[in-house]
Formats: sequence, C-alpha cells, structure tokens
Amino acid sequence: MSSDRTNEKTRSYGNRWTALGLFGAVAVTVFLVALDFRAMWLDPPIYPGPGVTGQARLSDYFSGIDGTAADTDVYFLEGEEAGGTALVLGGTHPNEPASSLSAITLIESAVVARGRLIVIPRAVHSGFTATDPQEGYPQVYHIETPTGVREFRYGGRGTNPIHQWPDPVIYVNGSGQQLAGPEVRNLNRSYPGDPNGYLTERLAFAIVEMIRQEGIDLSIDLHEASPEYPVINAMVAHENAVDLAVEAALLLELEGIQIGVEPSPANLRGLSHREWGDATGTKAILIESANPAQGRLRGPTTEALIVEGVDRYYIRAAELGLLYVPFGKEGSPLDERVGRHLQTVSMLLEVFSSADPDRTIAVEHLPTLGEIRQNGLGAFLAPPEK
Amino acid sequence: MTLIYQGITLIVVLLIGWHILRERRLTDQMEAALVLLPLILRLLMIK
Amino acid sequence: MSEYLPELWPLLAMVGAFVIGTFALKLPVSISLVIASVVGAAVGGHGFPLRHLVEGTFGYLDTLLIIATAMVFMRMIQASGLLDTVAHGMTARFHHRPATLLVLMMLFAMSAGMITGSSTAAVLTTGAIVAPVFMALGISRNKTGAIIAMAGILGMIAPPVNIPVMIIGGGVDMPYIGFTLPLLVLTVPMAIVIVLFLGLRSARAANIEPDMLPKSYHDQYGLKLYLPLILLVVLIVGEQALPRIVPALGMPFIFTICAAVTPFTGRRFQPLVASREAMGAALPVMGILAGVGMFLQIMALTGGRGFMVSMLVGLPLALLYLSIGVSMPLFGAVSAYGSASILGVPFVLALLGSNEILVASALSLIAAMGDLMPPTALAGLFAAKVVEQPNYIKVLKHCLAPAGLTIVASLGFIATAGFWDRFLFWDNRLGVYGILAGAVILMAGLVLLLDRTGSRHKPAEVK
Repeated sequence: MSSDRTNEKTRSYGNRWTALGLFGAVAVTVFLVALDFRAMWLDPPIYPGPGVTGQARLSDYFSGIDGTAADTDVYFLEGEEAGGTALVLGGTHPNEPASSLSAITLIESAVVARGRLIVIPRAVHSGFTATDPQEGYPQVYHIETPTGVREFRYGGRGTNPIHQWPDPVIYVNGSGQQLAGPEVRNLNRSYPGDPNGYLTERLAFAIVEMIRQEGIDLSIDLHEASPEYPVINAMVAHENAVDLAVEAALLLELEGIQIGVEPSPANLRGLSHREWGDATGTKAILIESANPAQGRLRGPTTEALIVEGVDRYYIRAAELGLLYVPFGKEGSPLDERVGRHLQTVSMLLEVFSSADPDRTIAVEHLPTLGEIRQNGLGAFLAPPEK
Repeated sequence: MTLIYQGITLIVVLLIGWHILRERRLTDQMEAALVLLPLILRLLMIK
Repeated sequence: MSEYLPELWPLLAMVGAFVIGTFALKLPVSISLVIASVVGAAVGGHGFPLRHLVEGTFGYLDTLLIIATAMVFMRMIQASGLLDTVAHGMTARFHHRPATLLVLMMLFAMSAGMITGSSTAAVLTTGAIVAPVFMALGISRNKTGAIIAMAGILGMIAPPVNIPVMIIGGGVDMPYIGFTLPLLVLTVPMAIVIVLFLGLRSARAANIEPDMLPKSYHDQYGLKLYLPLILLVVLIVGEQALPRIVPALGMPFIFTICAAVTPFTGRRFQPLVASREAMGAALPVMGILAGVGMFLQIMALTGGRGFMVSMLVGLPLALLYLSIGVSMPLFGAVSAYGSASILGVPFVLALLGSNEILVASALSLIAAMGDLMPPTALAGLFAAKVVEQPNYIKVLKHCLAPAGLTIVASLGFIATAGFWDRFLFWDNRLGVYGILAGAVILMAGLVLLLDRTGSRHKPAEVK
C-alpha cells in the first residue's frame, strides 16, 4: 500500500533496475546458503565394528517409510549363544548428541557374547539433515580419535520440515493428547505411531513394529536434556521396568554414577517409555543426560560447548541453585555423557540378565565411564577413513 | 498437502516479486527481497 | 560483571546498530534488524555467517504465510462489501444498548483468536469485522484499534487453543490438559473490563445517524455475500473440533480458499490488484519478522540470549515477579511465541512448586502482551492497518493502560496461585461450575444494568 507512507521521508532511489539487481542478489544468496543447507543431507559414515553381525533398514519392518527420509539403518550385534534381545535407540532428538554418539560407539566397539543387541543410531534420520532455526547451532562437531578427527552431525529436534510440511496448528497425537503444532515432527510424542499418519507417526509405527516383530525384551531410548530441566541424569521407566531401573540405579551409585529413576507418567502420552511398553510389553526405559548446548541459559553456541560442555552461565545457575545436576567448571563434556549412557545401558543389561538368565544379553568391550575418562571417547570409535 | 503449500508459497513469492518491480523505494524493495529468501528456499524444498 | 563482556559486547552492538538504523538513519525496522544482526555476528567473532542469518528467518516461515494469506483475505472481504455490511447490520440492531453491544462485539472479536491461537488472524478477521461497528458507534479510530488489538491478544490466550501455553508445556513436558478454566478466568473478565473502559463513554455519547453507517450490500447480494465468512468458520471450527476427521488444512490454506471464493460473492473488484496491495500492506510486518528471526539467531549464536535469560531467571523471588512483568512483554517485541519459549519455560522452572498449569496460564497472558511491543507489535500493527491509522504508535498508546492492568492481574494470579489451585481444581466440580455460573450471571447482569442506567442519562435515539 504505497500511499500509506507518503508522509514519511521518501527515499525513491528504487526503480526497475534496482528491483532486478535485488532479484540477482536473492538468487546468489539462495545459491550460497543452499550449498550449506544441502551439505547436511549427506550422512557422515558409521563404521560397523567387529561385533556387528547384520544390518537392515527400518523400512524392512514397515514399508510405509520406504524411500522416505525417515528410513534409517538398523544394526544387529548377535552373540554365538542364544539369549534375550535388547534395543538401544539413539538419535531420537538429533540436537542431543550423546544419544546418537553412544549408539555409534556401541556399533563400532561392542561385541555381544550372548543374546542380541539391536542398535539404531539415527532414529530420526531426517532430523540430522537440518538444524533448528534461531538456535545458532553448528552443523557438525568433531571428535578426535588416535588416528584422526571424526565428524558428526548436530541436527534439529524433529523431522526436517522439508520432509514433513506443513505442521498443523494443533497436533493431536494418537492418544488424543493436544500438543503445539511443531510437536507433530517430534518422534518422542508420536508413539505408538500411525501407519497412515504423518511421516513422523509412520516412523514411530515402524519402530514399534520392529520391537514387536523382533520380540525385543528390553528397549532403551537415549536422550539428553538441558541442565535446568527437572528430569535429568535420570531413567524414566515404564511400570514394567521400574524395578529393573531402580536396581540398576543402586548398582550404578556403587560405581560412582548418580542417576535417578522416575516412573513414566500415565497421562503424558506419545513418549517411548509409555507407549513402547503399553503397545508391545517390552521393558521400556528412557535415559537422560545433561547437555548444556540445548539449554536456554547457555552462552555462545559453539562446537566447543557441544563437545566440552563448559559454560559460564550454567556454572552461575548451579551456584544459584537453579539446576538439577551438579555443574562446575569442568562442565558436562560429551565424552562424560556418552560414558554415563554406555555404563547405564551396560548395567541395565546386566540386571535384566541376572533377573532372567534364559534371556541373558552379555555384551563385551563396552567402554565404561572410567575408561572413557582415561582414554577419551575417540579411543573407542573407528578411525576415520583416509 | 505439501504440494498445496508449495503452491501457496509460489503465489506469495510471485506477488512479492511483482510488488518489488512496482515499488519505488529502495528500502522497501530490500525489505521485500529479505522476505523472499526463506520463501524461495522452502519453495525449492532446500531448507 | 567483566566475565560476561564477551556476550555483552555483541548484544550492545546489536541494540546500538538497531537504534541507529531505525531512528538516526530512518531505515525500515526490518533492514535495521538485518544490519544489527550482521554487526552482532561480526562483533561476536563470527564474521559474516550467511547460513545463520538466513536460517534465523525460518523460525517465522509459517507465520509469514499466515500473515500474507490472511491479509489477502481481509482485503478481499473489504473489497467485496462484506465488512461494511456486517458492521451496518450490527450497529443498526444494537446501538441503543452500547454496553451489551460492546461486550458481545469484544467476545466476537476474540473468537477467531480463541480458535486459531493467533492474535494476527483474530485482528485481521473478526477484528476487521467489528472495527467498523465500533467506529460507527463513535469510538475513535485509535481506540477502536486498541480494542481489537486487545481482543486479538486475549483471544489468542483464551481457550480452546493457546499456543504460548503449549510452547511452555512443550518445554517442561506438561500436557495441554486442564487449562480451560484458568484461561477463561484470566481472559474473559479482563476482556469485559477493557472494552468497557476503552469504549463505553464514547459509545454512550454517540449520536448515530443512519447515513453515517457503513453501506450495507445485504439487499443487493443476499446471503451469497457472507459465504467467505461462513466458509472460514466452517473450515476453522471443523479442523479444531473434529481433528483426524476434517483434514488439517492449516491457516494459510484456509485463508487461501476463502479468499479465492470472495471475488464471486459481492461487489466487483480486481482480485489480483487487491492481492498485490494486500501484500504491500503485509510486507513491512513480514520483513520485521524475517529480521527478528535473524536477530534471534545471532543472539543465540553469540550468547546474548543466554546472558539475558540467565540474568533474569537468577533474580530473587520478589524481583522475579518484576522481571516477569517487564521482561516477558519486552521480549515479546520479537513475538509472543518467542517470549513464551525463551523466557516462559525458564520462569515456569524457576517457579516450580506453584501449580504449573496456573503459572503457565498467567505467563502466557503476560507473554502475549508482547504482541503490543514495538517494533513488531503484531497485534497493534495489524489493528492499525485495519482501522487505517498509518502510525501504529497512536493505537498502542491506548493499549498501555489495559496491557498494564492485564500484566498486574496476571502477576496477582501467579502470586495467589494457591487459592486458585484450591478453587479451580476443587474436587467438587459441581461447586466450581456453580460458582463460575453465578459469576457469569452477575457479570451479565452488571452489563445490562450499565445500559439501563446509561440510557437514563443520555437517551440516544436513532430512527
């Protein structure tokens, strides 16, 4: 409405040529940023270790995600002896790096002696192809290994909007719970999924199908949360797995790892620790560690914050008693968080096996927190391809 | 639904483009060009 | 303090560049925000991070589409004669009962916000419909703008759809359950007080001449004229009331459908030209949103955001209330949703111990006041467009007192959360609803009484 502003100081330098010039500038900008954005569409490699005995695609369990960005790799680590089956799901929220990285460490270093371990390192594969706007996240982070530097992706919290768009105003999930629209792209609000629903709901359905078809006894969902979030350094367990989680937490405490146990709230629907257990009977447990890079109190958003986890504002918040985890000047490094996750997984498997020896899942070469502290996480990852 | 939204985005992009061509204030042209960036990137399904 | 300088410098540079751009160089707000973002990133040691700058704008992509399509729709129903006709009908019927009319119009203006959860959508649809009624009643242009801006905001917060609460809930894993009553208690009485405060005096004094009213096209086009509006209501209500049966079309698509129908329902006009004009009117706002997106991304990147949030959340309890009342609306300058997400979530966590549902409800209302905060001031800006006031600050001035009152009342609600917890979540549901029904009857009676006593003083007669 050009007549609106005739009373303003007029700056009429514009004409058809400046318009064309601006179109050119827009085209160049679009081209340049497209290079950056598209660079995230490639998956950094994962190198299956000596323990990996098979590989599949999630779409093998539900063809409704075949050929979509939601389809993702599934790794099998099977022992010589028969036993139980456990699932470790990483990368539900690609902005929670310890989750995916713990799963990758399992794939690259663990060996199963008895039973079966199924690992998905990038549960929301689509989410690894874009970062969330207005958060200022780097697109990659690096971990040093003894023979070189490995690159990993830092992604967004949910499915990339270019793979599922638009969001509804209100997302009513399968259990009838109303959520803000963007949650429709959050895998961990979409369980037990819907074979005819949104892409993320189909992904959730595929995961539940896999748990069912593989007869998985124990299902572990790895997450991270911001240090100011009340449920942190904790396991959230379905009522069928609370005893297991409590015993594991007690034993972990003896090993020097503080971890809480929360029962899965009955009225919070769509989450793995609730719906996996309800839908399939698997023992469902979600584990949280403290990631300062996803918190709202964080200072500069940098790769160092993701990897080293040191932040002045969180130190101050801890001093003021605003946090639910201790946070000192050593911060909350990614190594440490992966170590916690792995040792918790290891303890859960042990406790589960001792309670039901026929369904034993025995895993070797799983690094403990102490070993990771001593040698660095890189020592347990495959060397980068030259 | 995605295709419909791409269509709506295309219409908005064309209307803004038309507006830029007719606008005689450079700053307002720039403002409109700024808005074009996210719209075009989504139209092309790049971001 | 000196240890926080690395984050403080980029933040100050950004604010400084913005102020210089807007006030000294008189650049559009959007361009000033871009310049501020570029400067902030450079001062923060990030060079010229093109990817971050563009990525920030994506935070508002869906909002951009809603604004563009809603604006086109509004321009079309204006051109078709629908807006004038509705205004004519309402005023001619109710003008002798100003208080009742004002309250009903206010609730009607809120309704689009209640359903869409967006103050912009409310101001541009039901707000645009009631604005001519208010003006025909003798309420000034600017006060009318203020009323529909407040209606849009209160409508956005009123149930059934309150997106800021859902955003806060998403951040603390709180399901969107049990919010209906607290939100009604917060919004409806406030809406009645505000509309009477802003409008009653002028409406009573008005001497309405039939030829001053907007023209009615009802006789000419009949029911066909109302089709776009009926369609809008059916599609929006259908999507919300019967989810998983009516497909989720989303606001942009709904507005597009309704706009596409409009040229065939009333006065003749050129739809393409109307659309381009609408885009011209919407672009300053769309530009601001894109600029704000960049600004937020660079604030997060350089740590300015963390600095702000940390300082605010770390305050002692007494100051915490003050900080909520000031910072949330201020931060709403970059959008109420942003304020709910960035400040609402940490504030709820800082106030853990009180009933979270009540705290989040009140915080959402305070955050919503951010839609009145320049430079974005989405509600005020669109209200100014609707009443054709080129300077939206004049509209915002009249919002100051109502907004202040709302913030104080919301803080009071948080402070007395214990009482509301016992009342609204009382196990005796019959008792709760009984008391609330009594309150509604009392309010309705008071409004009717106002019209009785009012007309004794000033019998405004129109034939």
